[in-house]
Amino acid sequence: MAEEKSQASSSKMLTLKASDGVLFEVELNIAKEMKTVQAYIDDCEDIETIPIPNVLGKHLAIVIEYIKKTNEEYDAEFEKQWNMDDLQLLLLAANYLNISGLQECLCKAIAKRIENKSPEYVRKVFNIENDHSPEEEAKLRKEYKWAFEGVDKD
Amino acid sequence: MEKETRYLPHELIIQILLRLPVKSLIRFKCVSKSWFSLISHPNFGNSHFQLSATQTRRILCIPNSPTKILSIDFESSLNNDFIDFESSLLNNDFALLNPNFSLVSLQIKGSCRGFICLRGSSNLYLWNPSTGVHRQIPLSPFDYELKDYYFGHLYGFGYDQSRDDYLVVSMSCDPTYDSNSSHLEFFSLRDNTWKEIEGTQFPYMNASSHPYPKVGPLFNGAIHWLARRCDLQVYVIVAFDLMERKLFEMPFPDDDNIPTHCDLWVFGEFLSILANDYNNNMIEIWVMKEYKVHSSWTKTLVLPAFHSFDLIYSTKNGDFIGVEGFLGLVKYNDKGKWLGYCSYHRNPRVSQEVMYTESLLSLPGDDDQI
Repeated sequence: MAEEKSQASSSKMLTLKASDGVLFEVELNIAKEMKTVQAYIDDCEDIETIPIPNVLGKHLAIVIEYIKKTNEEYDAEFEKQWNMDDLQLLLLAANYLNISGLQECLCKAIAKRIENKSPEYVRKVFNIENDHSPEEEAKLRKEYKWAFEGVDKD
Repeated sequence: MEKETRYLPHELIIQILLRLPVKSLIRFKCVSKSWFSLISHPNFGNSHFQLSATQTRRILCIPNSPTKILSIDFESSLNNDFIDFESSLLNNDFALLNPNFSLVSLQIKGSCRGFICLRGSSNLYLWNPSTGVHRQIPLSPFDYELKDYYFGHLYGFGYDQSRDDYLVVSMSCDPTYDSNSSHLEFFSLRDNTWKEIEGTQFPYMNASSHPYPKVGPLFNGAIHWLARRCDLQVYVIVAFDLMERKLFEMPFPDDDNIPTHCDLWVFGEFLSILANDYNNNMIEIWVMKEYKVHSSWTKTLVLPAFHSFDLIYSTKNGDFIGVEGFLGLVKYNDKGKWLGYCSYHRNPRVSQEVMYTESLLSLPGDDDQI
């Protein structure tokens, strides 16, 4: 019986398997912060290895670390270590794994990094094609001239 | 190493955009057609406005008629950036459609959720400086009758959240005509018409000082004004409840020493009066600890007078922001210490300033904007 086996549920360990095969042993209470994983456990109680097909080992490691250490101080420093690419991949991971605190932290961080940038810069960051015609874009730039002042040079 | 082409899903892009300030979002309308639609959509504007962490406040100034309209960010400690709106207003559709439009006679009558209510010589305008969204509204029937130089007229602008509606309120009291009553009218944006509130209203005149009557602060779902009861010859606070659509009155603090030159505003969580005591060169700040309870008026601060200071609003950490003479904007902390200024040449006899919150909000019925 599962109840008799372990004392506290926090001592039970779970294995998460990243998309590139890397394995992580985590405590149950850590894994439960990932609502996607929680749902998996709820569905199949006896599972021991849970596949995480969308997340690379490198990013899963960062996510697990975040869950263990998150607090106001940690969060403030957390995003500074990662480049824009990693931030987006981490956001995708946090979204897939359904970790709201991490999602919020990453959205804020990405927003902060693009806040004072030009539209060209933002298009590159998110791989967006500019489908405004040159006339349309010129019209917008003229109408909202004030919003283009003081913008960081690319 | 080749970078994989990756696209963040739409929902995540939205989560990121919601955390950007208005200026960035306006600029990013240029990024693509889909970003343009997304940012311009009323639902996005609403969600963005609800996230109060990103709400930025600026001050709109009409420093000298008729030349300029400026918007100044005075809260972020460095970079007081100026926006000169004059050219965008004059090129804007509503100026072109209305041959009588000019900056000369514009009076600021209110500010709410990113919209400024302006009174021109023959129309009212609601204008969101950040998005350019605007609406023209006729003057109230009684206002139309009043003489142009009559400054005692009370005007207010606010939001009724129970109906998601914006109201412009007008109180006309012409003491030369009838010194015992006034006409209370309001314009509902959704109904798109002026209505008079039946029943006799006491004769109220705007008591806030020149050059132009000050904007009535919004508090607890009501617009408030410093007014004078012409029949009783006393000063009172009169307020219009935007949901109930009713007028009510609140007395001044009981203090014979209350000086007459006052500012009414919202200080932290309370309705407050800043009273200038010119004789003693002091400022008294009174706070209504319990809203509508007369006896709860409490004198909370007495400070050495700020030099010819006219209050605009106070920041979240209790600093006072106002204007001073010919200088421009000034900031004092709640100990009376001068914290800084932002200079723009202003004519103290005609200059008008109001605080507004930047927003991407639309007005009801904007799809068929005039």
